[in-house]
Amino acid sequence: MRRTALAMAAVFALSACGSGGSASQELSKDPVTLRFTWWGADERHKRTQQVIDLFEKKYPNVTVKGEFKDWNGYWESLATTVAANDAPDIIQMDELYLSSYAERGALLDLGTASKYLKTADFDKSALDTGVVKGKQYALPVGLATYAIVANTDLFDKFKIKLPDDSAWSWEDLKKVGDEVSKAGGGKVTGFQSLGFDAGGMNIWIRQAGASLFDESGKVAVPPEVLTSYWTYVRDLAKQGVTPPPSVTIERASASLDQSGTATNTSALATWWNTQLSSLATASGSKLKLLRIPGEAQATSPGAYFKPSMYWSVSSRTQHPAEAALFVDFLANSEEAANIMLTDRGVPANKKIRTAITPKLTETDKAAAEYLDTTKVGPAPRVTPNGASNLEAIIKRHTEEVLFDRQTPEQAATSFIAELQAEIDGA
Amino acid sequence: MSAIGELQRMRKGSRGPLGGGRRDNKAAFVFLAPWFAGLLFITAGPIAASFVLGFTDYNLIQPPTFNGLDNFARMLTDARLHKALGVTLIYVVVSVPLQLGAALGLALLLDKGLRGLAFYRSAFYLPSLLGSSVAVAVLWRQIFGADGLINQLLGIEGRGWISDPDTALWTLIILNVWTFGAPMVIFLAGLRQIPRMYYEAAATDGAGKWTQFRSITIPLLSPIVFFNLVLQIIHAFQSFTQAFVVSGGTGGPSDSTLFYTLYLYQRGFGNFDMGYASALAWLLLVIIAGITAVNFWAAKFWVVYDD
Repeated sequence: MRRTALAMAAVFALSACGSGGSASQELSKDPVTLRFTWWGADERHKRTQQVIDLFEKKYPNVTVKGEFKDWNGYWESLATTVAANDAPDIIQMDELYLSSYAERGALLDLGTASKYLKTADFDKSALDTGVVKGKQYALPVGLATYAIVANTDLFDKFKIKLPDDSAWSWEDLKKVGDEVSKAGGGKVTGFQSLGFDAGGMNIWIRQAGASLFDESGKVAVPPEVLTSYWTYVRDLAKQGVTPPPSVTIERASASLDQSGTATNTSALATWWNTQLSSLATASGSKLKLLRIPGEAQATSPGAYFKPSMYWSVSSRTQHPAEAALFVDFLANSEEAANIMLTDRGVPANKKIRTAITPKLTETDKAAAEYLDTTKVGPAPRVTPNGASNLEAIIKRHTEEVLFDRQTPEQAATSFIAELQAEIDGA
Repeated sequence: MSAIGELQRMRKGSRGPLGGGRRDNKAAFVFLAPWFAGLLFITAGPIAASFVLGFTDYNLIQPPTFNGLDNFARMLTDARLHKALGVTLIYVVVSVPLQLGAALGLALLLDKGLRGLAFYRSAFYLPSLLGSSVAVAVLWRQIFGADGLINQLLGIEGRGWISDPDTALWTLIILNVWTFGAPMVIFLAGLRQIPRMYYEAAATDGAGKWTQFRSITIPLLSPIVFFNLVLQIIHAFQSFTQAFVVSGGTGGPSDSTLFYTLYLYQRGFGNFDMGYASALAWLLLVIIAGITAVNFWAAKFWVVYDD
C-alpha cells in the first residue's frame, strides 16, 4: 500500500511540475543548449542541419540539438517526452495536434516572447491559423493548398486529352479517369485514391457549404454530405477508376516514393501543391497541377490554405528567450530561407516568399504560382482537441466502405459518432 | 530445462521449491539479483503507477484526475475494444495450436537422430530469434504485398494480402506459426528425457509406431506440451510488434489486425488517453491470468506426471 501511495505521489509530482514561468525571458551569456524536433525526409534533415549550423555560428553560446523522425513515429515520441517532462524546446507542430497540445498547456504563448520573435511580415489570416483560445501558440511555417497532380506524359501516351480544369466537376474527373483506366489495361489507373486524408474530405464538405467542425469544436458535418463522399469513393473503386481496394490501401500507407503518382501508375491524384517537386523527382515524368474539381459547381469554395506546419515552443522550456530567437531565425531570416526554400511549404512569411522566388526550381515555382492563383475560402477551424486521429478514423471508414463492410450511410453515421466521442473524451 | 523440472515438482507437491536446502539458495539469489533489481527499480514502479492511473483520466500532459470506475465502465461499450478482443482471440486460438503442432512435428523428426542435427536445430530455431523483430515484419510486408513474393510466385495481380481485411490477420498467424523454434527446442529436450527402454519394451510387446507415440510419447511429453501451451498463449496475447509494423501502427485495414496491445498503445500514445490505456493493461492481465488459471485446472485431466 505504501508503495502504491509513493508511486502515485511520483506520478502526480511528475506531471504537475514545471510551467516554465520561472525561466528567464532574457538572453543568457552562458552556454545554452536547445533541443529542436521535427519530422520529415532526408532532404529536410540535411537542410535543417545547415540552418542550425548557421544559427550556431551567429550565436556561439547557443547549441541546437536536432531530433528528427519520420512522421509515423513522431507523435508517439513527442507525447512520451512531453509526459516525461522532457519535451524538446522547439517543436515542429501540425494543425491536427495543435489544439491538443495547446489546450493542455504544453505550449508557450508566443506572444510572451515577442521581444525576440517578430511576426510583422505575416498576414493576419496566416497568423490566425496558429491561434488557439485567443493566444498565439504556434507560428505557421508554410502554406499549402489541395491540388490534383496530373501526369501529362501518361495522358500523352494514351492519347487522351488533359481535362480542362477551369470548370470541371467530380463527374468529369470520374469520366476521364475511367478512360485512362481502360487505356491503361490494369497497369495504370486514371485516379489514385480518395478517402485517405483530411484534405480531400474537407474539400468535399466545404464544397457542399458545410464544415467538418463548427466554431465551438463540435462535429458539424451533416451525415448526407459524408454519405455522398463515401458513395463517390466507392463508385471510383467499383468502376476501376482507382485501383482494387487492397492495392489502394497498401499505397495509402506507403511512402510518397511508392505512390501511384511516383510510380507512374496513376494519371491523376490528389496531393498538396508543395509536394509537386518531390513527386516530379520520384516519377521522372512531367507533372502538372490542376485545379480541384467541383469548385465551379460548389456552394462555396472548397479550396483553402493549410499551414503545412508550425513552429511552437514547449511551455516548460528553460530558455524561452533563446527558443524564441531560434524560431525568429527560422521564420524571418533570409539566409535560413535560402537553404530551406519550399521544403516546408511555400513560406507564410510574405517578405521571405518574395525573396526566395528567384532561387526556386521550375516545379517549386509552379507550386508557388498555383498557390498564389488559387481562389480560396476562409480556412477551416483548427482541428479541435481530441480529434488529432481524424485521418486514421477517415481511413478506417473508407476501408470499411471499399470492402463493403459498411454502406456509405453507415460509415457516415459511425464516423460522426466516433469523432465526436473522441472530442468529448479529451 | 530446469523450469520444466521445477514446474513438475511444483505440480506434484512432494518436494517444495525450497526442498533442496538453504545452501543452494544463496547461489540462486545471486543469479536472480540483477533481474530482481531491474524488476524493482524499472518495472515495479510503472506497474504500480499504471494500476493507479487505471482509475484516472490522464492525458499525459496535465495531472491525472480520479474518475473511479469510469474507465472500466467505458470498456463495456467500446466497440473497437471488442473488435480488438475478437481479433486477438482468433489469433491466439488459431496460431498457438498450429505453432505447437509444427514445433512438435519437427521435434519428432529431429529426434530420430538425423545427421547434422545441430545444423537443422539451429536452422529451425532461427525464425524464433527473428520472428518478433521489426525486420521480419517489414519483410512480411514485402512478401505479402501487392507486388510481393507470393503474388509473383502465384502470378496474381492487383491484390495485396496484408491490405485486405479478409486475409491480413492470416498473414500474421502464418508469421507466428513460422516462429515455432522456441517450443521446438523445448520439445526436443523433452523427447530426450523419455527413457528409450519404454519404446524397446513396447516394441517387444508388439506395439506399432503409432501406438508407441500415443501411449508413450504423448503422456510422457504432456508436461512439456502443457508448459509450451501456457507460455505460447501468454506470448500470443501480448503480440504487438508484428501487427504494429505490418499495419503501420493502425491495426488496419479496417481494424482486422487490431491486436489488444496495439489498441492499448493507440489509446495511450495516439489519443493521449493514458488512464484508459492503463485500465486496458490491467484488463489484459486479468484475461491472461484467467486463461492461465483455466489452463492449469484443465491440466489435471490430460497432463501426466511420471515418477
